[in-house]
Amino acid sequence: MEDLTKKKTYVEDIERSLYDIRNEDRSLYKSAKGLTEEVVRDISKRKNDPDWMLQKRLEALKIYNEMPMPTWGPDLSPLHMDDIVTYVRPDAKMTGNWKEVPEEIKDTFDRLGIPEAEKTSLAGVGAQYDSEVVYHSMQKELADQGVIYTDFETAVREYPDIVKQYFMTLIPPTAHKFAALHGAVWSGGSFVYVPEGVHVDIPLQSYFRLNAAGAGQFEHTLIICEKGSSLHFIEGCSAPKYNVTNLHAGAVELFVKEGARLRYSTIENWSRNMMNLNTKRALVDKDGVIEWVSGSFGSHVSCLYPTSVLRGENAKCEFTGVTFSSKGQDLDTGASALLLAPHTSANINTRTISKAGGKATYRSAVKVAPAAKDAKCLVNCESLMLDDQSRSDTLPVMDIQADDVEVGHEAKIGRISDEAIFYLTSRGIDEKEAQAMIVRGFVEPISKALPVEYAVEMNNLINLELEGTMG
Amino acid sequence: METEKTLYSAIPMRTWRWLGVNEAYVPSDVVWNEKDVPAAADRKLSVAKGTVREETVVYRTEPSGRVTIDVAPGAKLHLTKVQLLPADKGHVDALEINVAEGAEAHVTIAELGAAETVTKVTINLNGDGALGDLAAIYLGSGSQKVDLNYVIRQAGRKTKAEMQVRGALKDRSEKIFRGTLDFIRGSKGSVGREREEVVLLNEGVRNRSVPLMLSGEDDVDGHHAVSVGKMDQEKLFYITSRGLDLSEAQRLVVEASFNPVLERIEDKALRAEIEQYIEERISDGK
Repeated sequence: MEDLTKKKTYVEDIERSLYDIRNEDRSLYKSAKGLTEEVVRDISKRKNDPDWMLQKRLEALKIYNEMPMPTWGPDLSPLHMDDIVTYVRPDAKMTGNWKEVPEEIKDTFDRLGIPEAEKTSLAGVGAQYDSEVVYHSMQKELADQGVIYTDFETAVREYPDIVKQYFMTLIPPTAHKFAALHGAVWSGGSFVYVPEGVHVDIPLQSYFRLNAAGAGQFEHTLIICEKGSSLHFIEGCSAPKYNVTNLHAGAVELFVKEGARLRYSTIENWSRNMMNLNTKRALVDKDGVIEWVSGSFGSHVSCLYPTSVLRGENAKCEFTGVTFSSKGQDLDTGASALLLAPHTSANINTRTISKAGGKATYRSAVKVAPAAKDAKCLVNCESLMLDDQSRSDTLPVMDIQADDVEVGHEAKIGRISDEAIFYLTSRGIDEKEAQAMIVRGFVEPISKALPVEYAVEMNNLINLELEGTMG
Repeated sequence: METEKTLYSAIPMRTWRWLGVNEAYVPSDVVWNEKDVPAAADRKLSVAKGTVREETVVYRTEPSGRVTIDVAPGAKLHLTKVQLLPADKGHVDALEINVAEGAEAHVTIAELGAAETVTKVTINLNGDGALGDLAAIYLGSGSQKVDLNYVIRQAGRKTKAEMQVRGALKDRSEKIFRGTLDFIRGSKGSVGREREEVVLLNEGVRNRSVPLMLSGEDDVDGHHAVSVGKMDQEKLFYITSRGLDLSEAQRLVVEASFNPVLERIEDKALRAEIEQYIEERISDGK
């Protein structure tokens, strides 16, 4: 049969030169490799932590040492904690003026288009280089309304009461081994506080870049949206390629109060030697809404499953995710939703693409507690495989403990149909473009959810990934 | 407090431990060792090339068993498994079917009795054009626990898998259904469908559904769907307004849901026995 013997051009990998620019490592200070109490104390001292923070770090370290590695998911054996540098301080001070950012660091962010994005479409931006935030700015009118957007160290110093109340309460160090690791060595990240009733109309953004080889990035993001407020926060990540494994174990804690709405968007394009073991959780109160938009393109291994805890009546979660796994990548992504109160609802919608031997896994959990009367949950995951060298697995779990619920789950797996390609080529579109059009159509639910600049960036990433892949 | 449990089955790919769906253990009142199954409980059958064989396995008193069947090229198997054990017994069973080129395995399962059921079914579609068609019903009532682990492995080219599972949960019953479609690399042109429908008859039940789809092959067409919900309230209102009481209405709704599977059982007497059993379970219970 013809369709069984069809040949495909096998594409090794894409051109990543834009993201893989490797700057000279001009760090001011690097912690010793590995993880010991001395290293943790040293980081804490250099960051001028208050004592309560040092105690939290030490407690997390203890938990880290006691916890086993996960028994499921991707192979984490390339990760040798003894070789990872947990804290790298770039040779730059935090500034609110782009001109003052050291040339080399500025150049990197310029190439990635960060300042342009700020000029055209952002209310504020923070940029983290290695372990420290190097640039931070926010429009004045937001500050006047009481919005706080700052790097996390400043928040610990200037808003200790708020930070103490929320920090690592949603992601306690006991959540899993890498949450404990994060608790011990966290550095940098963003703190956002939106007061009651304030609507931040244009997005805030933070950008993380890891430049030093064999280093870890452990930024902490804490966002609090008070009653009736709203915010869109965008997070972007990248790193150049080195021959040693880098590690990213950030934590994102989002608190969405009564009637508030938070959209958290991420486009992640870490280099292909990154172990991306990131944890993100949102706690949503009555009538609150959390919307996640999550694009995973980079890294060697990713484990990323944003979790929404819907504890207030009528709280809602919308998750939209796209994962593109190529050569040498094992991207294990998905989402979790815990529906704990009446009339809560969750809508999870994902697309995964795998090619050139890449492995994409969709993993999810939906739990409906006995109290969640009239809960609704819809999960839809679709997988597209671009060749027979790749893998695509789906592993959703539903745990329903209430009877008055509507739960639906649907998953599809397959490849681009020959008919669709034939149809488009018969209309004069070349085969390569036809395939790209179909893939773009496949991820459309996600690109629609992104601000236009990011949708364009995502489309560019997809075009780069597809270059040369022929059906 | 707990004595050491014997691992019985696991899903082909592990996930978060807190969900408690990775493994299933042998119920505490059942003595069962996979490596040393007594000959009486270990049946090995085969269906010869080009022939048709019908087999029925009914568990009424014997709590456990294992059946392994090889279906030769071009042959057809119709297998029915019905489990009607007393409500205080544990149940363990395994069914493994190997399907050769152009052969078909049609399996119909009614998992109804026992205090705790732990069962697994593996259908290996080894040959090109092999067909695996698995339809099952289960009913949980009282404090019953039902644990099903079904896997259809599609290794040959142009194989076809159909898995449909229909269940109803009542009182404080709990159930885990793990259903896997596994497209092995090389299974070009294969199609797999999996569907689960669960009706929840009252609060206090717990339903866990784990529909896996694994693929190492791009030239496949896989689809799975799960729907879990309360009995249709309009339907219920309509039936009770016709003078039927709640348990009769529940029975009608459950039977309507089970019918597409029950219709596959050709033995009239056995079907009547199953229907009687379901009726009794829905009307008493608690």
